[in-house]
This record gives sequence, structure tokens and C-alpha cells, in this order.
Amino acid sequence: MSHWSTAMKLLLIEDDKTIADYVLGGLRQEGHVVDHVTDGREAMSQAMSGPYDVLIVDRMLPGLDGLSLVRALRAAKVLTPAIFLTALGGVDDRIEGLQAGGDDYLVKPFAFGELSARIGALSRRPVQQSAETVLAAGDLRMDLIGRKVTRDGIEIDLLPREFALLEHLMRRKGRVQTRTMLLEAVWDISFDPQTNVVETHISRLRAKVDRPFDRELIRTVRGSGYKIEG
Amino acid sequence: MPARALELLGSTPVRQALGIVALVAVVSVSTTGIAYLRLRDGLEETILTSLDQSAASFSTARTAEDLRRQVAAEAAVADPELRVVVLIGADGSMTGNAIAELGNGRPELRPASEGRPLADHGYEIRVLKDERGTLVLGESREGIGEMGEVFAFLIGLSLVPTLILALAAGLLVAARSARRVVRIEETLARLTQGDLQARVADVSGHRDDLSRIAAGLDRMAQAQEQSVAALKQVSADIAHDLKTPVQRIAVLVAELRDRAVDGSPEADLADQAIAEADRAVGVFQSLLQIAQIEAGSPRSRFRTVDLSEIVATFADIYGPAAEDSGHSLRVDPLPQKPVPVRGDKDLLGQVVANLIENSLRHTPAGTTVRLSLTQNAGGVVLSVSDTGPGVPEAERSLVLRRLYRLERSRTTPGNGLGLAFVAAVADLHDARLDLADANPGLTVTLTFAPSSSPPT
Repeated sequence: MSHWSTAMKLLLIEDDKTIADYVLGGLRQEGHVVDHVTDGREAMSQAMSGPYDVLIVDRMLPGLDGLSLVRALRAAKVLTPAIFLTALGGVDDRIEGLQAGGDDYLVKPFAFGELSARIGALSRRPVQQSAETVLAAGDLRMDLIGRKVTRDGIEIDLLPREFALLEHLMRRKGRVQTRTMLLEAVWDISFDPQTNVVETHISRLRAKVDRPFDRELIRTVRGSGYKIEG
Repeated sequence: MPARALELLGSTPVRQALGIVALVAVVSVSTTGIAYLRLRDGLEETILTSLDQSAASFSTARTAEDLRRQVAAEAAVADPELRVVVLIGADGSMTGNAIAELGNGRPELRPASEGRPLADHGYEIRVLKDERGTLVLGESREGIGEMGEVFAFLIGLSLVPTLILALAAGLLVAARSARRVVRIEETLARLTQGDLQARVADVSGHRDDLSRIAAGLDRMAQAQEQSVAALKQVSADIAHDLKTPVQRIAVLVAELRDRAVDGSPEADLADQAIAEADRAVGVFQSLLQIAQIEAGSPRSRFRTVDLSEIVATFADIYGPAAEDSGHSLRVDPLPQKPVPVRGDKDLLGQVVANLIENSLRHTPAGTTVRLSLTQNAGGVVLSVSDTGPGVPEAERSLVLRRLYRLERSRTTPGNGLGLAFVAAVADLHDARLDLADANPGLTVTLTFAPSSSPPT
């Protein structure tokens, strides 16, 4: 099943065969067109020649390492969104990656769902613009000015953080948001706590938004995260 | 920059120059002083002899009238600035070139008229008294006074140029070394901040104590940078060589999981295997992170962060989770204004998260976990306390070690790195970490020194 309505053209730059096969298999199954290179230098010319929607870059590569590759691409005005895949998960490493011009950073081992959701977030498909004053999903309405949420005409009373969480999901209607993406977006924290904190917030939100009604709008995507249905 | 100028004046070369000036002053003042005293004694003797002679000359007058005439004649020619001669007759009449008032002791002299001023430096005075009256003779000390001025001038003449020269030389030396001292100080500060590439790189060409210190400092920094680089390399190797195979395992298991039917025992096993792989990576991850923090490198990223916001955020994140596990997560009223400290927002957030998780995990349902943040003259105090079983006093320092776990916690989740991480981050921020008895329960307190909380 695809998370996307339209297929994307992606470039995977990864020298580890097992991981590359896994990522390629998953992405192709989702309907994307994926090119694959294993060497940094080759990746450079490939990324500069073709228009790609997202680059998936391993940090440790033969030839030219991923960090230098993205830095060189940015210097050459190639602004294609890039997500790093790396075994280096230190705070320094993450900041280094973002400073080099990377748009996101995923530490190995990662779940495919996490990668897929993050590629989706990077693909520059417009989210529902902030100019809008009312967000909608099914019979759920969110009035951003009046800070009011109604479903089927019935007002739902939300705490400020629940409102923010729901707003984030509704702006990205139909797109999977992983736990770590929600932590980054709603609470501005970039590490993954060991306790299932996001699950508990989602279950509070569900109790208010979904439980009193017959149709479930907030969906759990196994191995990935959550999304709100249209 | 007045501070810079003050620093220059306090520098060693200037202090030494001032010391030399003081020494020269002592020598000069004492030699000149001895010469002055000897000359003054000679002059005083001359004055006294001269007084004796004039006293003798007046003793030749036979009658009071003779004496008065003689005094009048003398007074007419003698300049009162040099010699004073006054006769106060037995009848009280006064003759002379000044006015003398006899008190109980030494007579007071005043000028006789506008045109005949007296000496500035006083007189040696002799008073002769007999039936003819009282004769007051004064010999000016003008010569001695003027000699004193000459000697004072001489001392000044020798000292002032010495002072100026020595101070100038001292300042010159200080200014020349000041730039090098400042470089050394700046390099030390940058190294302390975690910029391991900082070097003095002294190229002054001098071969003195400062260049040796600079070279030694550079060698030390080089060694430190190399060992941190080696640590980073090891970390990267571990990360790559261990995590990549774990990732491969996770990938293979995930494929297996995809082929299994949801809810089947195979799917369940695969899920467990994935969770175990995640846990293994979590341990690598935490160990690597602690090593990086202990190497001090995140310090270069320190910003002013609001601890109050961090506490509020994590109380919010963990609220529902605490409720679900039967705990009660409370936040004592936070300070009204921001509580700024210099630090790394992510690491401090992770500390608060670890402390909350630690309490939630190791205490039974029904336990209250309390967060508090206060700011006073002693610094900023962040504490997380619970009403659980606590940590025995003997084991409080042990739980801060990596991978140490209390006997009763063997079966609870967690990798034994949470508090070690907290300790490393506390150290990085120069914050004091205390574990104490909450009667009952455990209180973990982090105290940030006032210096680490910038002015608002």
C-alpha cells in the first residue's frame, strides 16, 4: 500500500548491499522510481544530472563520504532534499549532518516505516497552508482562529498540547507521522525517549476525537506511526 | 579599554619596574639625605658663631643709651631677611629692624614695616637680658632652607627620570608580552570551551619563558585533540562495525516479519527479535553518547537555555505516561520568569527525561514523582523526587556508574545508563549532582552554579 498519491523519483546512495536491497525493495513496493549507486563520486554526478525528489545518503561511503557529497551538492546549487542514513548517532554527528546541508538525519538501525515517512515529509508536497483558518478531515473540523474542534457538529474539548498534536496530523492529512517526527514537531525534542510517551498522548487524543464516534480517523500504521484519514 | 590598561599595569614587568624605581628612590634619598644633614649641621654652626659674634659686639656698649644707638645703627643697615636685631628697653621702648614680642619662651618676630619682610625659613634666635633691656638677635636660616630646596630638587632630578624610564621600559616589555599572554589566555579559554583545535602558535621568535609555556600548551592541546580524535574514531568504528550488522539483522528479521501472518507465533518472535536489536543499539548509542559528552566536545555548542521551559515540556510529555502506569507526576510552581543556564538544550532535556523515566520505572504504582525548579543566590536547583523505595546510601554513588543496576531492578526495563548519562551531562555543565533520601524515596538534585546562569 502506498502512502503517496504520486510516485517519486529517488536516489539511494548506500554501499551496504543488505540495507540497500531492503530500502530499494520497500521504496519500489510503494511505487517509487529509485536509482541506486554505491560510490560517493558516482553519486555526485548522478545527483547533479537527474532531477530527484529526495536523495537518501549513507554517511560512510567509499570514494566521497556522504557529508562531503551533500556539502559539494549544496555548493553546486543542487538543493534536492537529502536525508542521511548513518550509524553515527551522537548529537555532534546529527548537527554536523544538518550543517552540511542535509534536511533530515536517520540513525541506523532504522525501521523502514520511519524512513518512508521521513522521505514523505521531505518531498515538499505542500502541507495544508497556515493561511487556512479551518482544517478538515472527514467530519472533523478544526477552527484555527477560534481554537475550536468539532466533529459531526459536536464540540470537542482539547488541551493545548492535544490541539497542537491534532493540528500537526490534520495539516498532513493522509501522511504517516512517526513517533520521532511528532516529538520533533510538537515538543521540539530530537531524541527518542524510552517510554512510549507519544502513544499515551495519541491515546488521550483518540479518546476525545474517535471513541465517541463510529469511524476511526486517527490510524496507527504498523511499524511506522500515525496518520489522520481524510 | 580601561580594564586592559589596568591589566597591563598589574603585569609582572610593570611591577618589577616599579620595584626598581622604589629601590633607586631609597638609595637616592638616603645618600642625598646624609649629605644634606652634614651640610646643614655646618651651616647651623656658622649661624650660631655669627650670633655669638654679634652678641659680643653689643656687649661693648656701656650704657643703655649707647646700646640703643648701636642697635639703631645696626638695624638701619641690616636686612631683616638675613639678620634681626631688636632691643626692648627697660622702659618697654622698642628699637630694631623688626618687632619682637616676648612671650614666656621664644620671642615672636613680626616685620617692622611693609618694606622690610622677614625670612621664610625662620631664625636662630638669641635673647640677652640685663638691666639695659632685652636684646633679641636673630640670624636667618634662609641658607639652610634654600639648601633643603636644592637637595629636594636634586632628589627629584634623579628620581623622576628614573621613574619615567623604568615605567616606560616596564610597560614596553609588558605590552610586548601582553599580546602573547592574551593569546595564551584565549587559547586556554577556547580549549576549555571544547574547541580542541585551538593553539597558541607562538611565532614571536622569542626563546623565553612565555614561548616555552606556549609550546607546552600547544603540545598538551595536540595530545588532547589526538586522544579525542582516537576516541571518536573508536566510537565511529564501533558505531559502524557493530550497528551495521545489527541493522542487517533488523532488516532480515523485518523481511521475515513481513512474510509472517499478523498475530502468528512467528510474527511475535520476529517482533521480539526486532525489539532486542533496538535495545542493543540503544545501549551502544548511550555508551557512545556518554563518551562524547565526557570528551567535552558538546560544550562548544552551549547556548542560553530556559530550564523552566524544559521542565514544563517534559512534565507535559510524560504526564499521560505517568498516569497510565499509576503514577502521579507533579510540578512544583515554576519560577514566573525564565530560568536561563548556559548549556545544551537537547542534553538537558534528555537529563530531565531520564530522571522522570528513572522514577517511573523503579517505583510502584501509586508513587508521586515531583519536579521542582528554583533559582536563588546559590544557583539554579533542579530536582526530581519520588516517594518510592529510594536507593540505599551505600549504593548512591554506584548507580551513577555505567551499566550498574540495583539488585531489585534487574528485572525492570532500562539499560543502567540513565543516571550515568545524567552524571556526564551534569559534569559537562559544571552542575553538582546529588542523590538524597526523600524520606521515603529518592531525590535527585542538580545544582547549576550561578556562573553558569547568565544574567537575564
